[in-house]
Amino acid sequence: MNKRKYHIIIPFLAPSLILYITFVLFPYARAMYISLTKWRGLTPNPEFVGLANFEQMLNDRFFWNALGHNVGYLLVLPIVTISIALYLAFLLTQGKVRFSRFYRITYFFPQVMSLVALGVLWSFIYHPTIGILNGILGLFGTEARIAWLGNPDVALGAIGVVVIWQAVGFYMVLFIAGMESIPTTFYEAARIDGANQWQVFWKITMPLLWDTTRTALVFLAIGATDMFAITQTMTEGGPNRSTDVLATYLYERAFLSSQFGYATAIGVSLFFMVLILSVFTLRVTQRESLEY
Amino acid sequence: MASVTYDHVTKRFGDVTAVSDLDIEVEDQEFLVFVGPSGCGKSTSLRMLAGLEEITEGRILIGDRVVNNVAPKDRDIAMVFQSYALYPHMTVFDNMAFGLKLRKTPKEEIKRRVHEAARSLGIEDLLDRRPRQLSGGQRQRVAVGRAIVREPAVFLMDEPLSNLDAKLRVEARANISRLHLRLATTFIYVTHDQTEAMTMGSRICVLSAGVLMQLDSPQNLYDFPDNVFVAGFIGSPAMNFRRATVRQENGDMVVDTGDFQVVVPPAHARHFPEAIGKEVVFGIRPEDIHDPQYTPPGIHTAQVPAQVDVVEEMGNEKLVYLADSQREGLIPLVARFDPRTRPVVGNTVSIAFNMDNIHLFDATTEQALRVGRERTDV
Repeated sequence: MNKRKYHIIIPFLAPSLILYITFVLFPYARAMYISLTKWRGLTPNPEFVGLANFEQMLNDRFFWNALGHNVGYLLVLPIVTISIALYLAFLLTQGKVRFSRFYRITYFFPQVMSLVALGVLWSFIYHPTIGILNGILGLFGTEARIAWLGNPDVALGAIGVVVIWQAVGFYMVLFIAGMESIPTTFYEAARIDGANQWQVFWKITMPLLWDTTRTALVFLAIGATDMFAITQTMTEGGPNRSTDVLATYLYERAFLSSQFGYATAIGVSLFFMVLILSVFTLRVTQRESLEY
Repeated sequence: MASVTYDHVTKRFGDVTAVSDLDIEVEDQEFLVFVGPSGCGKSTSLRMLAGLEEITEGRILIGDRVVNNVAPKDRDIAMVFQSYALYPHMTVFDNMAFGLKLRKTPKEEIKRRVHEAARSLGIEDLLDRRPRQLSGGQRQRVAVGRAIVREPAVFLMDEPLSNLDAKLRVEARANISRLHLRLATTFIYVTHDQTEAMTMGSRICVLSAGVLMQLDSPQNLYDFPDNVFVAGFIGSPAMNFRRATVRQENGDMVVDTGDFQVVVPPAHARHFPEAIGKEVVFGIRPEDIHDPQYTPPGIHTAQVPAQVDVVEEMGNEKLVYLADSQREGLIPLVARFDPRTRPVVGNTVSIAFNMDNIHLFDATTEQALRVGRERTDV
């Protein structure tokens, strides 16, 4: 009986399995292999060099520079995004804000636009001479025309702001959904127990939203290790590599310097970093799951 | 400990009036039950007292203090919710201690009170568990425990037993009654279950569509319902009703339903001085319809033929559903027969009304026509 069951199951599984193997598992395996070779991308046979690429990486200060920026994003973006999203979600679920539906849609809006379009849009906002940001600052008497994306000291932060602005709406909606699924009797019980708004948020809402929060944390952490699209469209890693991230550096090595072997090695190390990071985040934030 | 006063309280949700001009006083240490069908405004009345709903009109007082604008936490109340609302991320101990912690009660005091309450409810060994590791009955007790530790002036309970199975409910009912005696505090309890209301309340407030129907002791509600609604709501199976006219015949009061005519004994007829010549609703409880063979001694009966439709064996009694044999398509009567009777389905039998316990209501206003409250049969 069991054997016969498999006769039926296998034909159904086969198509997706074949697609998965061809387009996911095989490229992964192939990338692992290429990361161990020296390859300019055009020759048919990559030259096997063992761990040489990884060794080179350890001594490559541009790699460390890019990794440093990723770590910076990693430390700042998730926490800031989640804080703002939680705050907005809490405000908009209290039933005290007028037009809350309008705000929900507005805050979510950046999420439906392409990152490239946003990158271009914000490049104009940040433009030193015709940008609206400097224009607004000018109204308040600021004379200096700040080159938001041209100044190595502020460019990284400027990009971070765009990413937060773009992501907040999505996580806000996620938190709103989470908050609205918490039965109101918990809040009522807490009010009778004597909790004020602040205590209700920290003692009731947050613990019950924990699963949503850790999901958000992992998504945002993974996002912070990427940052390719927005960086590439806004600064291409410049000025002077001050906004370079691993993904843009990888791209540069592969497609501008034709060092596909080395670039793939960066990609592979990025893969392991994300993997370890995700597992670590999920483990550290694990709590007993709650039912209500 | 405190009294509670609803002073002409009205609650409207938009165009819908949930509670209309509720005007009652609950004495200190009383166990008052709000009862009524769903949507009658009983929960809303409780929630206004808890401070979870705004009061549209009127005032609510706890003790001598008007609490309309007092926050729930400052009303000195504790509430048990139908869903229990136990915080799922906290242990039983933390659930019970939460309110005390927020009030900055000293740690030792919290511990003492929680353990004391837990011991009295038999949940001391559950203090380290989370709500989801508890059975329904245990959760219910924890919810009660969380209210007890606060030592409030008024206990509010919103259908706290409706999520329990029948057997547990009977147990929990007795436990809550015992708790009320022990704590000697004002309890206000909401239920849709008239059995719960009857067994627990020192007084019962029957609501229908937001309007107070009657506020009285359980026995009085049962014996002297003010109107058709209360008469039909209290008691299970419900009271039997028939439209009828009342007339005087040879000096006797006769109730004529069209299907049968019965004579009201003079001793009972004097309770209805205004009934003669009126369109009425004639009401008789199932236990006042007997098998003539087993009629209790000393009551005035009137016999009527009826056809046995369905018999439910209850062991201690038989519930007999009777169709009127004279005419088709009438509302059947329910009778509680002595278990020794052997009614056969389909047979036409004679049934005896205990005419000393009949009820008469005005057919238009549905208000009781009864004057005075002495029982005829005592």
